[in-house]
Amino acid sequence: MIFPKWTNSVPLVLAAAAALAGAGVAAGVTIYFTPKYYRVGYQPVQPVPFSHQVHAGQLGLDCRYCHNGVEKSWFANLPGASTCMNCHNQVLKEDPRLQIVRDSATNNTPIPWVQVHKLPDYVFFNHSVHVTRGVSCAACHGRIDQMEEVRHDKSLSMSFCLDCHRDPAASLRPVDTVTKLDWQWSTNAVEAARLQALNGKKFVHDWKVESLQNCSACHR
Amino acid sequence: MNLRMTIDDLSMSQPATNSNSANARRYWRSLEELADTPEFKEWLQREFPRGASEMEADGHSRRNFLKLMSASFALAGIATLGAGCRKPEEHLEPHGQQPENYVYGEAQYFATAMPARTGAVPLVVKSSEGRPVKIEGNALFPGGNGGTDRYAQASILDLYDPDRARRFTHDHQEVSREEALKFLDELAHQFSASQGEGLAFLAESSTSPSRARLQKIIAQKFPKARWFTHDAIDSGIHQRAATQAFGRPVKPVFHFDKARVILSLDCDFLGSEDGVHEHIRKFAAGRKAEEGMNRLYAVESLFTLTGANADHRLRLPAGSVAQLGLALLAEIDKSQSADALGQLAGVDPKWITECANDLKAAGGLALVVAGQRQPTVVHWLAHAINDLLGAMGNAVTLLPWQINPAGADLRNLASAAKDTLVILGGNPAYHLNWPAKPKSGTVVRLGAGEDETSEKSDWNFPAAHYLESWGDALAFNGTLLAVQPLVQPLFNGLTELEFLARLAGETQTSPHEIVRATFDGTEEDWKKFLFNGFKAGSVPEAVEVKLNSAFPGGSGGETLSKDRLEVVFFRDAKVDDGRFANNGWLQELPDPITKMTWDNAVLISRRTASELGVQNGGMVEISLNGRGVKGPIWVQPGMADYSLGLALGYGREQAGRVGTGVGFNAGKLFSGKYIETGATLKKTGETQVLACTQHHWSMEGRPAVREFNLGEVTEAVEKNENVAEEKFHGIEPPVVRSLYPNPLDEAKKTALHQWGMTIDLSACVGCGTCIVACQSENNIPIVGKDQVLRGREMHWLRVDRYFTTDPKRKHNPSRFDPSADMNQTDERQQFQEWIDDVQAVNQPMLCQHCETAPCENVCPVAATVHDQEGLNVMAYNRCIGTRYCSNNCPYKVRRFNFLDYNKRPLTELKGTLYSTTLTHKTEGERDLFRWLKDPNSGMRTEDEWDLIKLSKNPDVTVRMRGVMEKCTYCTQRIEHAKIAQKAKAGASDNVRLTDAAGSVPQTACQQACPAGAIVFGDVSDEKSSVSRRKLSPLNYSVLGDLLTKPRTTYLARVRNPNPAMPDSLAPFSTEEYENGLLTKKGNS
Repeated sequence: MIFPKWTNSVPLVLAAAAALAGAGVAAGVTIYFTPKYYRVGYQPVQPVPFSHQVHAGQLGLDCRYCHNGVEKSWFANLPGASTCMNCHNQVLKEDPRLQIVRDSATNNTPIPWVQVHKLPDYVFFNHSVHVTRGVSCAACHGRIDQMEEVRHDKSLSMSFCLDCHRDPAASLRPVDTVTKLDWQWSTNAVEAARLQALNGKKFVHDWKVESLQNCSACHR
Repeated sequence: MNLRMTIDDLSMSQPATNSNSANARRYWRSLEELADTPEFKEWLQREFPRGASEMEADGHSRRNFLKLMSASFALAGIATLGAGCRKPEEHLEPHGQQPENYVYGEAQYFATAMPARTGAVPLVVKSSEGRPVKIEGNALFPGGNGGTDRYAQASILDLYDPDRARRFTHDHQEVSREEALKFLDELAHQFSASQGEGLAFLAESSTSPSRARLQKIIAQKFPKARWFTHDAIDSGIHQRAATQAFGRPVKPVFHFDKARVILSLDCDFLGSEDGVHEHIRKFAAGRKAEEGMNRLYAVESLFTLTGANADHRLRLPAGSVAQLGLALLAEIDKSQSADALGQLAGVDPKWITECANDLKAAGGLALVVAGQRQPTVVHWLAHAINDLLGAMGNAVTLLPWQINPAGADLRNLASAAKDTLVILGGNPAYHLNWPAKPKSGTVVRLGAGEDETSEKSDWNFPAAHYLESWGDALAFNGTLLAVQPLVQPLFNGLTELEFLARLAGETQTSPHEIVRATFDGTEEDWKKFLFNGFKAGSVPEAVEVKLNSAFPGGSGGETLSKDRLEVVFFRDAKVDDGRFANNGWLQELPDPITKMTWDNAVLISRRTASELGVQNGGMVEISLNGRGVKGPIWVQPGMADYSLGLALGYGREQAGRVGTGVGFNAGKLFSGKYIETGATLKKTGETQVLACTQHHWSMEGRPAVREFNLGEVTEAVEKNENVAEEKFHGIEPPVVRSLYPNPLDEAKKTALHQWGMTIDLSACVGCGTCIVACQSENNIPIVGKDQVLRGREMHWLRVDRYFTTDPKRKHNPSRFDPSADMNQTDERQQFQEWIDDVQAVNQPMLCQHCETAPCENVCPVAATVHDQEGLNVMAYNRCIGTRYCSNNCPYKVRRFNFLDYNKRPLTELKGTLYSTTLTHKTEGERDLFRWLKDPNSGMRTEDEWDLIKLSKNPDVTVRMRGVMEKCTYCTQRIEHAKIAQKAKAGASDNVRLTDAAGSVPQTACQQACPAGAIVFGDVSDEKSSVSRRKLSPLNYSVLGDLLTKPRTTYLARVRNPNPAMPDSLAPFSTEEYENGLLTKKGNS
């Protein structure tokens, strides 16, 4: 006998192992190869310790004060250092943490902010059409006003976009509350959900909001 | 997979020369004030935000590191892959000081103009993040419709040409800009002392008032200096001949829109003359079936676009055109002798009589035009006939014109330039066949390229592209146009104005200041001038003069035979006189008539070819007056017998990586006369393969193009009954009910728009401007001759050109017989007699956006699907490259990226075995290692890659290998317009784009079309112009019997022949399909 008897079970064991490994790979890909896993939570250290919590949260600056392209362009715009200096030539004038900002404003050298939210190059997302039509900043970026350092809060994957595009009524808000990140229909969750459903439907009808799910809406 | 390219910054360390520091106000369409501010320089220096694509060594935070580590513990191998998938850290770099009125991401538009020889093209240029990306015509220009020409559309690629002149050189050694400018100062000193003794200028003609002013200053400062003007293609003859005929300096302006009967005496005003975009617009405006059509008679030797669009075409050797003109004049004015130029042979006298009668009947609305290659006598004849018929002041007006085009005798050039020869632009060494440096003093040259002339110059100055220049120019009707820069010179180039001002020792050397000083008007006028791009009301008042000269005499055509051939030199439809030789878009653009790419050929008629025993691709040697040149034969239907057509501008020895060695240099035969007799032709025995994109000349029995004579449709037009659909041709489309409901029917109920297009075949002249516009807008790559030969050209929009003929001349067996004329390619057709006298039809063909698209059904991955607005969309990321869609497309409009055309230079696109990243080295480094460092650049060298990135439209994905692509109806423009409208609407329902509000976008082809043949819009809006055009009696769908329900429909072509003419026939093409098996009418 060349092969001992136990070798009879080898094919079976191998098949079972392969099946397990296959399932493992499939599960691994599903879990780990999605932006939900590898983008959410990304929180790089920025060159300037700028706190959104202080500026947008405590001081209550409107998002559009700095991100002034957001209603006109696909890009929300990062403020130039000159925008920072509008206040900081009065406040924290000598603070060493702001040295880069002062240099930037004086020499017109850019500050190398690390990009947090980045969509693939084949996606043509447009800020202006969302924020002018009742999609809040918080819908995609989370509660930036509570973040000390900006963190990637939502997955921004294709399915994330489609969730909202399939049912815009679930996310639309009155247009003037778009940049009020803490705004909600009601403090009571049940009531808030009722009002969202009611008003969301109304907005979709009144503003002729399309539920765009075709390829050309985002890919050109 | 990184499909869309990111734009790295391109460092432009250029001192601001275009400045106006006195005024700090900003004005959105004028770059001038901004130009000197630090913000502007910053803006130019940095593409913001900088998309640095390199992975930084310390770019990963501790948090990410831990996350990755945990992942690798969980799933060992896969997690490392996951780490590889993480996007590299990128930085966003905002301005230090935010410029006002600038929103990153929103394109800006600036008015400017492209200078040409005898008139400039008014333009509006789109600038994305500080770099010009697309050229449009200026629709604000009085009378303009935003149309341009091929050259203007393609000229943006020259800005990003890596082979442009990029350095200052002295004795072929690079010198610094300062050193070179110092040399100019020294020259200025030297010649102000010697009054310009031994100094000569050699320039191209220009309409710039500022240059004329500087020229005068130079004449005053250096009175002994000589000025020579030379153009390889001399468009100034119109003005010189008119000046001679009318006895005062005038320039004729032709009003093709007003003229009812037009006769072209070898004048290719729709193709190769200067100002075609104006001519095409006017010609199409006067040619509408509903509003009365003009009639065009063309007499020509070559088959040109004008001939293709003529109602009656007479092929005649170019040398005999003068005799024909005289015969016509004698027919109209009986006191003239018809034989002063010798007997005219081979023309049916009835042709002349009836043509003359028609011209007479039109009276003041007749127009005769003479071609620029014809001698002065033909121009005189045209003026004389116009004058006799009372067309002066009606169909043709004369503008006072002081700028002097060309003229000086170049034989004295070397002796006049004993000390210094200054060459401004042009490429005289190539055009004048200089064997070596001219026998003159120092040669100083300002040139756009490192070419044949720079090789023979001592000093070379890089010239700025017009998109980098301040300047001014005159439009074809004399309106003053502004040339303003969109970007600082990429390679430190100098404008002609600055160069001349420095040479003249002027204190004012900034071209901006020079142009401002020339401009006559207040600061407000100036700003308006820059905003509009033209000075309103600056058209000179037309003068009324009578013909003021007698018949100048001349020589008529000589007898031609196969041993005594006539040679006609013409301006090429693509490379012009060679200046666009390194422009890949134009090299790959199929010639409007021959459909040839990447080559020129010896155009010859079938009969002459058979007498000489030559055939397509056979190399021949042409000898003329002791000079000789070798080139391949191309049998051109409709050519005059014993006449050879030779395009100038090819065979460049030093054009760059695109244009060097393309075609043969017919200029070696050229002595300044565009028509010469006495050539002989000899076979060399070699052959050359020519890359032609359309080998089929017939429609293979399918009614792709439908045509009528005006008489046939007048009644239908009045009753508004459709005559062009299948039914009329006896084809009843089968009634088929689909098994499944059409999903689009449901979508139509809620969608805001339904997009559609119509193309008017009566308006389309086939010039090809749309093809280049599409290429520019949609980032379409070029593929090179070898790939074109494999049928892999990438144009989303092509213009099909069919030749048709009198059915009696054709051998017409069954459609399925391979020997049937309709089934033959040019290999066999070139010997068929029927091609001698042909009609040509043009048809722009692009994705038809079928409602029931055959391509969609066969895509296994649903990469091509419909959106709710009726667009057949392509999702590049889904495409896996099966090419089933292309197989199933009846219109053959889908294009596949067989290779990575963006990443491979032309040298890597040839042969049977392509080099791979494993074997190929670029800049001495293996491509594999380069790929690891930067996955984008492929086999392109770094300088080339930087410029390619700059030239791309950021709104459109750059496609990679293995992906199918096709016309999208410019979906990026549609989405942009929709988004803009929605953002404007905010919390309201005003989200629909309408023609009435002017919010519907134009596609690139539509915008570029000078004839206004293409109309795009919302077909669900009854008031839109596209909806109204679809109701036209001439509207039809191509291959509509396949029930594809195309959204692109065509308006049948209407011809307007004169029934009294001997060659008045029904359109030949109708016979081709009415005789086909599809029809029930049977053979006629």
